[in-house]
Amino acid sequence: MTEKPTMIAFQDVHKYYGDYHALRGITATIRAGEFFSLLGPSGCGKTTLLRTIAGFEGIDRGVVMIDGKDMAGVPANKRPTNMVFQSYAIFPHMSVAENVGFGLRRAGLSKADLAARVGEALEMVGLKGYGARAAHALSGGQRQRVALARALILKPKVLLLDEPLSALDKKMREHMQVELIRLQRQVGITFILVTHDQEEALVMSDRIAVMFEGEIAQLADPETLYRRPNSRTVANFIGTMNFLPATVTSEMGGRIEIEAAGFGAMALEAAQAPGAVTGGEVSVGFRPETLTVLFDGQSAGDRESMATIEEVVYFGDMTYYDVRLDGTQSPVRISMRNVFGRPVLDIGTRTRVGWSPGAMVLFR
Amino acid sequence: MKVNGFKLYAFCYLIFLYAPIILLPMFAFNDATVIAFPLTGFSTRWFEEMATQPTLHLAVKNSLFIAVTSAVLSTILGIFAARASTRYRFPFKAGIMGLIMLPLVLPEIIVAVSLLVVLLGLGVPLSLMTVILGHVLICTPFTIAILSSAFQSLDQSLEEAAYDLGETPASTFRLIILPLVMPGIISSLLISFTISLDEFIIAFFLAGTQPTLPVYIFSQFRFPQAVPVIMALGTILVCLSIVLLSIAEYFRRRGIARSGGKDTGGFL
Repeated sequence: MTEKPTMIAFQDVHKYYGDYHALRGITATIRAGEFFSLLGPSGCGKTTLLRTIAGFEGIDRGVVMIDGKDMAGVPANKRPTNMVFQSYAIFPHMSVAENVGFGLRRAGLSKADLAARVGEALEMVGLKGYGARAAHALSGGQRQRVALARALILKPKVLLLDEPLSALDKKMREHMQVELIRLQRQVGITFILVTHDQEEALVMSDRIAVMFEGEIAQLADPETLYRRPNSRTVANFIGTMNFLPATVTSEMGGRIEIEAAGFGAMALEAAQAPGAVTGGEVSVGFRPETLTVLFDGQSAGDRESMATIEEVVYFGDMTYYDVRLDGTQSPVRISMRNVFGRPVLDIGTRTRVGWSPGAMVLFR
Repeated sequence: MKVNGFKLYAFCYLIFLYAPIILLPMFAFNDATVIAFPLTGFSTRWFEEMATQPTLHLAVKNSLFIAVTSAVLSTILGIFAARASTRYRFPFKAGIMGLIMLPLVLPEIIVAVSLLVVLLGLGVPLSLMTVILGHVLICTPFTIAILSSAFQSLDQSLEEAAYDLGETPASTFRLIILPLVMPGIISSLLISFTISLDEFIIAFFLAGTQPTLPVYIFSQFRFPQAVPVIMALGTILVCLSIVLLSIAEYFRRRGIARSGGKDTGGFL
């Protein structure tokens, strides 16, 4: 696959609110046509960063480029971006069609052309025939669609989405996630989504920037982010990760040998150890589903350790076991899919646990 | 029916509050010159008599001019202040807003006397303009209170959305903000008009030789034969006030409903 051209480039972007340093040197590029997410807890600066693209927030230092042009001094109404607001910001005194066609007011279209464009946009978001309705009489999901149509009708280079799904209930949210992905593929423009929901980001995005305290902690595709987080904070924010103490015994040619409590000695690839690790206290991290509780007669694919089950949480399709590996202080969580005919083990059971060094990540 | 103490209290309270107002039209349509029971007969002659009094006409004209001008000026000032206080942060905001709202609780006699002293000190001749000045001062806090609730219920992202869709700040104000706060503006105009129209103290102190309606009414009470006419005039004013305040409240509520907010406060 050839690399897509750059649509948005941040170069050392800083933003202050009084004494508060909201953006601390953001440098990143967002490619044309990708579904990009800014993910982080509230107050991490993700919405601020989005608003610097839209032009609602000025920056104190650095450069924001859109499609190769420096955006310094370009006001929001002159930028090739459109935004879907968290509150949707549907104009309550207008009809659906007036809302959707609002951005075309200045295009000087004939009435028929305008109506055609509005109809097209409404059809695209699945609201065909809703044009005459009053905007304030719509449901949450419909408002969302009107906001999308209104932003997309101007054919922007970039669509900015500020937590667009957070006001919807769970079912509607999952439905709209799929709709948004479909829509993005259909129109092919760059979507930038701000969300605090890691699952939403993983499901929808081509690439994700995880932000903490005004900085991008990691920028990667969802799989890399999940399997190879580059810090404990990222690992904890996305999904669940277990940690056990470990020591580095040798480092040679990209292969790192460690001695981990409960697992013993193992060799890891350099990619599994983000940040050069030279001695000192490190920890080894692994996802709950990368360990397997081995039942009688089963054999491990790779390595095995002995453990005691300390807690069992039954979820129907899954069972979570908190097990303590022999020679460790605190339990680790293992998630097991419940297969027909396999019993749920009791607390206190001694069991074998299968694991693989390939699923481990080393953290400072 | 069991008479509950609180119900009795509420009933007496309402009688005390509204009985005088109900008496007003009763004597206005009574054909006796003396304001006393029993009523002697139905007549509209007091209303007809109003048409023959040039001072009354002048007073009505003056009062309408003062009320309309004060309402427009104080509403314009109210728009600026309400917009600034709901949208922007600036130093000493709480203090500044407090000072603007102060005339709401300041005794009017103090406002009137101090304005009189200042105006005389500056050598400004007393006229309708000086009354307007005083009325703008006491009406503006009311307009700010009404308009703040209108501006507050306005979602800030509506403005940003219009801006984002290519409009300029000026056209955004015209296309989005103004239509959405328009009910508040109408309500503010009507309420400040009503306040100014029946204001007595400031008008009495600052009007110079020009009569305004409340001052004229007060002066007429010295002549017993003029009292029934004043009753008739009072009847008209009561009806007018009720209509205006109802319209004002209707627009205020509609404004809040339209911008999707919840009703918080108001005067009625």
